[in-house]
Amino acid sequence: MDNLVLSNIRQRPTRTLISTSGVALGVILVLLMTALVRGMLNDRLRRDQGVGAEIQFYRMGGGTLSASNAMPLDVRYADRLKEIPGVRMVSPYAHYVQNGNTGIGIEMIDAIELEGYSAISNLRIVEGRAFQSDDEVIVDEFRARRGNMGVGSAIQVFGKTMKVAGIYSPQIGSRIKMSLGALQRALSQENKCLGIMVKVDDGVAPAEVARRINDKLPNNHVVLTSEIGVNFGNQIPGIQGFVRAVMGLSLVVSSLVILLAMYTTITERTREIGILKSLGASKTYIIGVIEKEAVAISLIGVAAGLVVARIAAFVIERATTLRLEFHWTWILIAALIGVGAGLIGALYPAVRAANQDAVKALSYE
Amino acid sequence: MASIRPPSRSGYRHEIVEMSAILKTEDLKMIYRVGKVDVNALRGVNVSVAPGEFVAVMGPSGCGKSTLLHILGGLLKPSSGRVLVDGEDLAAMSDAARTDLRRRKIGFVFQRFNLFPTLTAEGNLKLAERIHANGKPSLDAAARREILRLLRLENKMGHKPLEMSGGEQQRVAIARAIINRPSIILADEPTGNLDTENSTIVLDMLRELNQEFKQTIVMITHNPEAATVASRIIEMRDGTIAKER
Repeated sequence: MDNLVLSNIRQRPTRTLISTSGVALGVILVLLMTALVRGMLNDRLRRDQGVGAEIQFYRMGGGTLSASNAMPLDVRYADRLKEIPGVRMVSPYAHYVQNGNTGIGIEMIDAIELEGYSAISNLRIVEGRAFQSDDEVIVDEFRARRGNMGVGSAIQVFGKTMKVAGIYSPQIGSRIKMSLGALQRALSQENKCLGIMVKVDDGVAPAEVARRINDKLPNNHVVLTSEIGVNFGNQIPGIQGFVRAVMGLSLVVSSLVILLAMYTTITERTREIGILKSLGASKTYIIGVIEKEAVAISLIGVAAGLVVARIAAFVIERATTLRLEFHWTWILIAALIGVGAGLIGALYPAVRAANQDAVKALSYE
Repeated sequence: MASIRPPSRSGYRHEIVEMSAILKTEDLKMIYRVGKVDVNALRGVNVSVAPGEFVAVMGPSGCGKSTLLHILGGLLKPSSGRVLVDGEDLAAMSDAARTDLRRRKIGFVFQRFNLFPTLTAEGNLKLAERIHANGKPSLDAAARREILRLLRLENKMGHKPLEMSGGEQQRVAIARAIINRPSIILADEPTGNLDTENSTIVLDMLRELNQEFKQTIVMITHNPEAATVASRIIEMRDGTIAKER
């Protein structure tokens, strides 16, 4: 080994392990959080778009990705929507959001009028039957498989035990569906819903129908389903801030770990700094050596973080109904955060080393 | 131009051809602050070393030998006086300029070898080359081989310091000091950690280097036998030059 940077990394395995773990932790945090947000939203959006309704109609402030259980819209808007030219079918619906069945994340339950919803979406019961009472639900095949459920199984909704009456296909909307009437009664929101799905006539442009709805029913929120997935960060209030907070936290944690590890290492290697100075190494050179070491450690940490995040995502997806989606942009950002943390964390120890008194450093025991 | 210097504070008088001095100090003083007490490590040292000269500096512990060597090598800045290295005044230079001069003109050999423990012998030499090259092409392979042959290190290049004897480590340290062909070698007790046999080998090599490459050597030693390889011996006492022979 004739390279000081690489030999130091190899010869100090504990320090290298701690430092790379610190960087990897930051990378894992960023990747998992963004993959989780992205995966859950995209999974949800794909399933919402799969319903087949071209237009979603809400009161202002509502939306398909809302995590609120509020039902601000009167179901009688459905009748008014049907009167608009180009509207073929409508189906009011609501959501109920509860904790995930594994304790991780959230789980959404669609409350629907099964007949209208099925007409729009081609939903069909593949096993069992439709819900017939307020304490019955239907689940999609994925949820049934992941939850080891079948017809007649018990499932927790609203904190009470309900029965799986049937299993449906395809996987559209939320993975658990119940009667809209049952939710209205449970939340004391008679004749209320979250939104109304609109299916347009064949050959009619959805945008034109949306314009007509806006004209007829102004001051509401009319969204083309095809546009729901654009710019996911703006779909949920506060998600951008949350992601930024995770990124900042990752940078700080990784930087601190690198700083402590490099500071300790530099103190241990005071004599070596003195030798470098006696050989004529400039301050820039010494800072460069230490920074190169930090970058090399960071790169190992980034690689380790990527691998661990991938494995963690696999495990999470297997154990829960959560979906994680990695994207190269976030991988790049996580890598930059990792390397940036290394550079920042090593800077103070590097400058301190470069400014050491050569004679004192040489006599350091 | 030749001149005769006035006597130093120690009363010692030495003639030298001033223009040919590669190392020269004028009224060199060094005061350390230890707690609230000032310690006079050097009290007006005047010394000149001609190019290619091999000078041994002797004296009891605490007499200022190492301080003098560190100042000559630009590792320390004196409290007052001048230090001319090949005509350049170290005392008037910034830290960066002293570092640059050290890289270009000076090689250090230490009592404790001071090799990088994680690097092989070859790695230690290449590191010195890289620092010296400072972005420019480093020493050619033939020149490196010649130095290794001279120091009988051809078969030790893949070994790390802990895999070598003290004598071998010191030879690697010498190779590192001369790998960039500095005009001056400053050796601080190079045989202090070696047995008699290895001391003899190292001293013979220093003498050989001095003769073959005409490098100026200033060597600190406690050992009167080691000092005999030098062409001149300076004896220091209480921060001054007491005697020269």
